[in-house]
Amino acid sequence: MLFKDQILFVLQHMKKNKLRVTMTVLATMIGCSFLIVLASVGFGIQETMRNEILNQEQITQIELWGNETLTEEDKKFIEEIEHVNVVLKKESINSTIHSKLEGREGDSNGTFIDISAQKKLPSNLSEGRLPETTNEIVVGFHYAQSLLNETDKAEIERKSKAAQEEGGYYDGADEGYKGEILNKKVELQFFDETAEQYGEPISFTIVGILKEPTYDWYIDSSIVFHDELRNAYPALITSPTTLIYVDSLEHVMPVLDELKEKKYQVYSQVEQLEELDLFFLIFKLGLLFIGTIAILIASIGIFNTMTMAVTERTREIGVLKAIGASPNLIQRLFLMESTFIGLLGTILAIGVSYIISFLANAILPHIVSYALSDENIMNHDITFSMIPLSLVIIAGSISILVAIFSGWRPARKATKIQVIHALRQEL
Amino acid sequence: MIKVDSLKHTFTIGKKDKENRIEVLKGINFNIQSKEIVAIVGKSGSGKSTLLQIIAGFMKPESGSILINNTEIAHFSEKESAAFRMNHFGFIFQNFQLLPGQTVFENIELPLKLKGIGHQVRQKKVQEILKKVGLVEVEDHYPNELSGGQQQRVAIARAMITNPPIILADEPTGSLDSQTEQEILLLIQQLNKNEEITFVIITHDEEVASIANRKLRMSDGFLVGGTQYAF
Ligand SMILES: Nc1ncnc2c1ncn2[C@@H]1O[C@H](COP(=O)(O)OP(=O)(O)OP(=O)(O)O)[C@@H](O)[C@H]1O
Ligand SMILES: [Mg+2]
Repeated sequence: MLFKDQILFVLQHMKKNKLRVTMTVLATMIGCSFLIVLASVGFGIQETMRNEILNQEQITQIELWGNETLTEEDKKFIEEIEHVNVVLKKESINSTIHSKLEGREGDSNGTFIDISAQKKLPSNLSEGRLPETTNEIVVGFHYAQSLLNETDKAEIERKSKAAQEEGGYYDGADEGYKGEILNKKVELQFFDETAEQYGEPISFTIVGILKEPTYDWYIDSSIVFHDELRNAYPALITSPTTLIYVDSLEHVMPVLDELKEKKYQVYSQVEQLEELDLFFLIFKLGLLFIGTIAILIASIGIFNTMTMAVTERTREIGVLKAIGASPNLIQRLFLMESTFIGLLGTILAIGVSYIISFLANAILPHIVSYALSDENIMNHDITFSMIPLSLVIIAGSISILVAIFSGWRPARKATKIQVIHALRQEL
Repeated sequence: MIKVDSLKHTFTIGKKDKENRIEVLKGINFNIQSKEIVAIVGKSGSGKSTLLQIIAGFMKPESGSILINNTEIAHFSEKESAAFRMNHFGFIFQNFQLLPGQTVFENIELPLKLKGIGHQVRQKKVQEILKKVGLVEVEDHYPNELSGGQQQRVAIARAMITNPPIILADEPTGSLDSQTEQEILLLIQQLNKNEEITFVIITHDEEVASIANRKLRMSDGFLVGGTQYAF
């Protein structure tokens, strides 16, 4: 029988049992869309979290740890690794630095930064420039806010208490130094480890302000010093870190591997990304498994429909066999029918899933932000549901395979029908 | 054309522990020449239908040999039987066995479809046959819109559409009145003469038997009467 005629033959039968076929297609569609939509949540959340990580500027950065500061030799070696753009040495001061400005005071973390390396990187400043000399500094975005006088302190204490009673906390955003701090001179005191007290105040000029941190809960009141200033304070205890900047995301892993091979202690967000991907792979497999159960339930419908079709057409199968249809052909015709049902249901399901997914992404953020009465959720770019092509392919294959599989036994049954028994059946 | 040798068949009926064996064919021998019309007659339950069904390959005989054009078909697999039927046999049944959901045209077309013949050739062949059996006016009707005689004409058209050398018929006029029976018999005679088709017809109707060149009489699992062989 020509393939075209087989298809027409099967379609003719499906048309004759429109209602039953439609219901079965519908069941398959519901099962398959359930699978896709469920798994799409896994893909959506993963996408959201990935973006969260990828949006951080540190994504192409590798952190190098170690108690010793990096030797020139090490630095040279690392700089020569392919795709490494910049090696930035940093030393964060373990003790806090005390600031004084116009009767206000504050404590900050301080860091010596290799200014010549920093200059090769894209600017991390929101205003001003990097220090050129040892008496110039750059301060964190919230530095001004951290400079307080006695009235501010009392005010913050009062607001914090009030916030605590309501189960929240107060970040002190309303207080602090309100004027322009760029190009201001501040008095800074380093902690003298030997004398166990703060040293003499020294005057520095603020020449730049860092960008606002990516996380909105992070208060950055740090101070960045020129690395040459380090020599003036040999006794200061510091923790050195080295940041290695790689030219692009896909080259982070190879560089990381090379450094690990040389026994450097390294850390990168990209590794976190890989762990995240592994976690979500398992998570998505779990969702797929649950979703497949829905398809299995739908497959019972297909099994039923096909079994009934075979029983109803017993006489017809007998006639077909009598005039020379091979058992293989009979089996194929029935398998095609269940495959069509599966295919139709799956195609519809893909369409429906995309619609549900679209609606979920459009509506859910509103509901969530309303329920949590948190406006911020709307500003975040949250994907609740995402249907990548791979999901469509996986879910579609599962659905169609299950449909074929559930049509298998009825189709086998059809081939077993004996001509003489079938023809003896009355109309 | 057809040569049957010591064909035996036994049915086993009833439950496993209380089996009952019915020897239906106890050793059948006969031959049929090309272009013959042969009638198989005999009492009800004498095994006529069983014999025909075994020749058709609808079931396997217990033992014996069936040669069709020198091909041994008694031990064909189901698949081989199906393929062989498609090319060598046409069938006519007492209750027509048309597909109710398909039109006259589609019913007649079906064997050609199964053979994998293309749409255009099918159209031409079916039109030709429709003329031969006188059904041109009803080609778009469904079987239940036709009289018994018309339905049997459709069945005959379906049986001969692939030009099989042999048509096997089990009581082809059993459901028809005597006038319609005459029409069908005339058609069979015409086809035998013009298309050179060999007919094997089961009947207990003397009218039907009268158009046959030869009668094979079945009795108690054997063929009796000495007309088994034609030369
Ligand atoms: N599938 C079967 N299983 C068991 N016994 C069967 C089967 N088919 C036929 N028989 C038995 O075989 C015997 C012959 O049956 P068959 O149908 O061949 O007779 P027949 O000559 O065609 O009779 P009729 O003229 O009534 O059609 C009968 O006794 C019948 O009961
Ligand atoms: Mg009979």
